[in-house]
Amino acid sequence: MEELEITAKPGEQAIEEAERQLGMSRDQFEVAVMSEGKSGVFGIGGEEAVIRVKPLTPPEEDVVKVATDVLTKLLELMEVNGKVEVLSHEIPIALNIEGDDLGILIGRRGQTLASLDYIVKLIVAGQLKVWLPLSVDVAGYKKRRDESLQRLALNLAEQVESRHRAVTLEPMSAYERRIVHLTLADHPDVTTHSLGEGVNRQVVILLKQG
Amino acid sequence: MRELLEYIVKSIVAEPDKVSITEENSDAGLLIKLDVAPEDKGRVIGRQGRVAEAMRTLLRVKAAKDDTRVRLEIL
Repeated sequence: MEELEITAKPGEQAIEEAERQLGMSRDQFEVAVMSEGKSGVFGIGGEEAVIRVKPLTPPEEDVVKVATDVLTKLLELMEVNGKVEVLSHEIPIALNIEGDDLGILIGRRGQTLASLDYIVKLIVAGQLKVWLPLSVDVAGYKKRRDESLQRLALNLAEQVESRHRAVTLEPMSAYERRIVHLTLADHPDVTTHSLGEGVNRQVVILLKQG
Repeated sequence: MRELLEYIVKSIVAEPDKVSITEENSDAGLLIKLDVAPEDKGRVIGRQGRVAEAMRTLLRVKAAKDDTRVRLEIL
């Protein structure tokens, strides 16, 4: 997060103001004093204190712990039996839920999983005041879907090369389109872009010019 | 149902004390009414209703477990 400059009356008030503006307690940000300020006589001729504050990024282990707790709590409240496992302790942090009958958490085309992922991110960000890359998966669903999209992208790229004709994929979510773009980003012979608006946005794979 | 919504909402608003949730049973299932502080309204609705929609989706998981239907209204 960015640095923030706070101006307030001399004394401790600048820190209190910083706590209020950031919604954080003193131990969650760094403070650099720019100017101590001076108190004037009867409030006249004083100088305001200026400090710069910068929120501290919580250690990754804290994020892993909070995210695991939040997800476990949500499962309990939804009465879904599942065990939360940590796939990656480093950024991007990855959690996965394992258990029986978890289809209910995935939903049609992964819609429920997308909602769960979003709510966990929101709650973690709300508690830690930072937005860190974090992903929630259910029984490896996203992983399998990502892998099959990557395979599809590579197969279609081959087709575009051999037939010298562009290929347009079916409409996909921003997340899915991103996977196709990333998979082919370093491809020597084809390039990708997106066409259309909203839910109809589609990826086109075409030969590089020249 | 109430506990699930309460946990999510209180975790994302600035004023958890002003969160109020009421439940009404009808033939069409459960109707949940959510009220929050005016400045928190944006947080529980989200851009293009994204947060509200995600909360509804998770409530539906619990409703399916309870074999009922649920509607969420944000006041």
